[in-house]
Amino acid sequence: MAVPVVEMRHVTKCFAKVIANKDVSLAVGEGEVLALLGENGAGKSTIMKILYGLYGLDEGEILIRGQQVQIKNPADAMARGIAMIQQHFSLVPTHTAAENIILGNVHGYISLKDHNKRLEKIAKEYGFDVPMDRPVGELAVGQQQKVEILKALYINAGVLIMDEPTAVLTPQESEHLMQFIKDFTAKGNSVVFITHKMKEVMEVADRIVVMRNGVVVDEVRRADTDEQQLARLMIGQEIVPPVRDQKECTGDPVLTLQGVCLQEKHAAPLLSDISFTIRQGEIFGIAGVSGNGQDDLCDVICGLKKPTAGQILLAGQDITGASIRRRNACGIGYVPVDRYRDGMVMDMTLSENILLKRCFDKDWFNHGFIRREKLDRYTNQLIENHRVKANDCHDTAGSLSGGNQQKVVLGREVDLASRLLILNQPTRGLDMGAVDRIHHVILEEKANRKAVLLISTELSEIFEMCDRIAVMHGGKFMGIYRNGQLTTQQIGLLMAGVPLEEEVQNA
Amino acid sequence: MKSKSNVLLYNIAAVVIGLVISGLLLLFMKVNPLDVCGQALQKIVTDKYNLGEILVKATPLIFTSLAFAFTYNANLFNIGAQGQFTMGAIIAVALSLGLQDSLPTWLLLLLVLLGSFAGGAAVGGLIGGAKAKFHANEFLVSMMSTYVITNFMDYLLRTSLQETKAEYMQTDAISSSAYLPNIIPGTRVHLGFVIAVAAAVAAWILLNKTQLGFQIRAVGKNADASRLGGISSGKIYVISFMIAGGLAGMAGLTEINGVQHMLLRDFNASIGSYGIGIAILANGNPLGCIFASLLFGFLNVMGTTMGRLPGLNIPASIIELIEGVVMICVIISYAVRYAMDTKKKKAMMRKAGV
Repeated sequence: MAVPVVEMRHVTKCFAKVIANKDVSLAVGEGEVLALLGENGAGKSTIMKILYGLYGLDEGEILIRGQQVQIKNPADAMARGIAMIQQHFSLVPTHTAAENIILGNVHGYISLKDHNKRLEKIAKEYGFDVPMDRPVGELAVGQQQKVEILKALYINAGVLIMDEPTAVLTPQESEHLMQFIKDFTAKGNSVVFITHKMKEVMEVADRIVVMRNGVVVDEVRRADTDEQQLARLMIGQEIVPPVRDQKECTGDPVLTLQGVCLQEKHAAPLLSDISFTIRQGEIFGIAGVSGNGQDDLCDVICGLKKPTAGQILLAGQDITGASIRRRNACGIGYVPVDRYRDGMVMDMTLSENILLKRCFDKDWFNHGFIRREKLDRYTNQLIENHRVKANDCHDTAGSLSGGNQQKVVLGREVDLASRLLILNQPTRGLDMGAVDRIHHVILEEKANRKAVLLISTELSEIFEMCDRIAVMHGGKFMGIYRNGQLTTQQIGLLMAGVPLEEEVQNA
Repeated sequence: MKSKSNVLLYNIAAVVIGLVISGLLLLFMKVNPLDVCGQALQKIVTDKYNLGEILVKATPLIFTSLAFAFTYNANLFNIGAQGQFTMGAIIAVALSLGLQDSLPTWLLLLLVLLGSFAGGAAVGGLIGGAKAKFHANEFLVSMMSTYVITNFMDYLLRTSLQETKAEYMQTDAISSSAYLPNIIPGTRVHLGFVIAVAAAVAAWILLNKTQLGFQIRAVGKNADASRLGGISSGKIYVISFMIAGGLAGMAGLTEINGVQHMLLRDFNASIGSYGIGIAILANGNPLGCIFASLLFGFLNVMGTTMGRLPGLNIPASIIELIEGVVMICVIISYAVRYAMDTKKKKAMMRKAGV
């Protein structure tokens, strides 16, 4: 076998609380696409951050073209032709694309014109249409990613590491990205592709390294494997897809929005004319690329923002102007998209996080004093019921893994949601075991005759869970359809804002 | 639990190291530090009055450190304990002078207690209100409020509150019927020390056991998530600043009715800033504030005693130097503790992993 471009041998990395990588060895050959596949928290990102010099390694060695090297920081890595695109981009939003790309690689007087010329040449080579002179903050996410890729191309990186690159892209943009990866590797460059989506792996990878719990479980060639085998390797157990009952929902309406608009002064409307009704025992899905008003819609329903027009009814009562406190008391449960910011207090114990949403409920207080025993008993029960991996209710929320944090948030909100459960991307970034568990809980709530609003960017999730589907684009509903009325192709077009030529019969 | 004792251990080590370093600084004054400290310690330990002074000096520091520690739990910075204390002192002296002849002592003291709390709370409430309503930076507002109130006090001392002789900028002395009762004969220790300890315990209970305290801590640790719980962070800002201001204001009672018995210019002008340092040493824990304040009370007495040692000419201000060095050591100890913990956990993980 030829000498690999990059080789990592027996790398071990410990953080204060966890072993992130244990004895990981892998190699990337020239012109090869290596997929790092694994659940979230399997250690994929960590091992690549070590290669990129963001983390130091505790044990093991890194070889580049057979030579042992020390990579102490990203500058070392870049000097050796390794570039990494983080899951969250590292761009300066107020700088132009060109300025971002040359950042850190220029000194003294900067001739922007010359740089622009060179950059446009590189961009043309790969068919990227990125406006070089506009602030990056104004660009769409897909274009920002292209700026990140151009950064790597600009330093002539031979090894490009991409961490979950398709998480933020539309299906069409993902296709472009896949094409780029093929073009890039055809020139003898190598790509390491971190993902937990098997479909992408099967499409683009040459070789697949599957990781679980910080160790390499297996290494396979794409030609010799299939999705079922990969899934088994990733989670170590077979997944049973949730069964749902296909009857039409005829229950009483729980949540009704009538012509809801949201607009800040002198700005484009965030929401325009949103109307829909969710009935008891119904899962109403909202599909769309993230950032098309889904978060604002949640804010309006749960009371963080007041709509500029329209009405919100909960079980027939007008709650348009009600406070968050009142809405919580009315039986709305809300799993926010960003649990670090909105869902939990990471420095507090699990008990205290459970109390957070109940801190005005008299049942949990005795003359103003917290009823500790009751709270702890309840929390321990919740931990057990939802199979949260935690010692007990005194663990801090921050000490749990993402999936387990989400189970706690979901458990809390499910119990609060006597009428309506709002879920904003509840499974984003979670491993398959946790996703499975969360889907089961949602279906249980449906069976309990609760109304569920499920916002997701994963089409498979939408198709699997929902009774009816609305597609959101630019703060508008592109239409509401019964599940099964739309093909993936059609929904993709709607998500991109293209109305269907043939009007599908409205549900 | 284990990590808590660890914090204590590190703090004690830091304080000891700080004392050793500042002891070495005494060498520059061409005196033997061991000798000097030994002499001073002996003077303190053998003299009941000096021992009592530790409690006397610690009393207002407990209040001002609580004033910082309390808002610290709401992730707010109250730099204005000095001003809140001053307002409490103004109210305390005014109430005492006005009512001392007409009310029995216990009722008067109760009124002064409530009044000084209310005075500090009003100042705190304004700061918290500015933060909640106008998103003003509470750090700056509270810091500047001290100057406003100090000048307000000077104005009063020149006008309505000035002594009957109208000579100095100070008030008349309050009559002994308005004094806080002495609790240890032969010292200056007064009931205020007990009130201070009780206030610290109450603050701890309020923060850790009650609905309000939970909401304060929740807002302090994550205001966004708390908002989704229905908690209005603005309200919490105002309430916690009012309580913090009230706590600082109560030092007005203990200092006016317990120690000085009158109000004068530059009255206890540095207890506010010491309070901040002490609260940091206590890591924002109200109970820790008691012990940290006692330590600083001790250092204070130690410095005074050193300054009085015959024939050595040690300036009493040596104490500010010692306190400063101790504080630096405490802050460094946080960084060291963090690094050591990480290293230990890593080693443990590796052992468990093999």
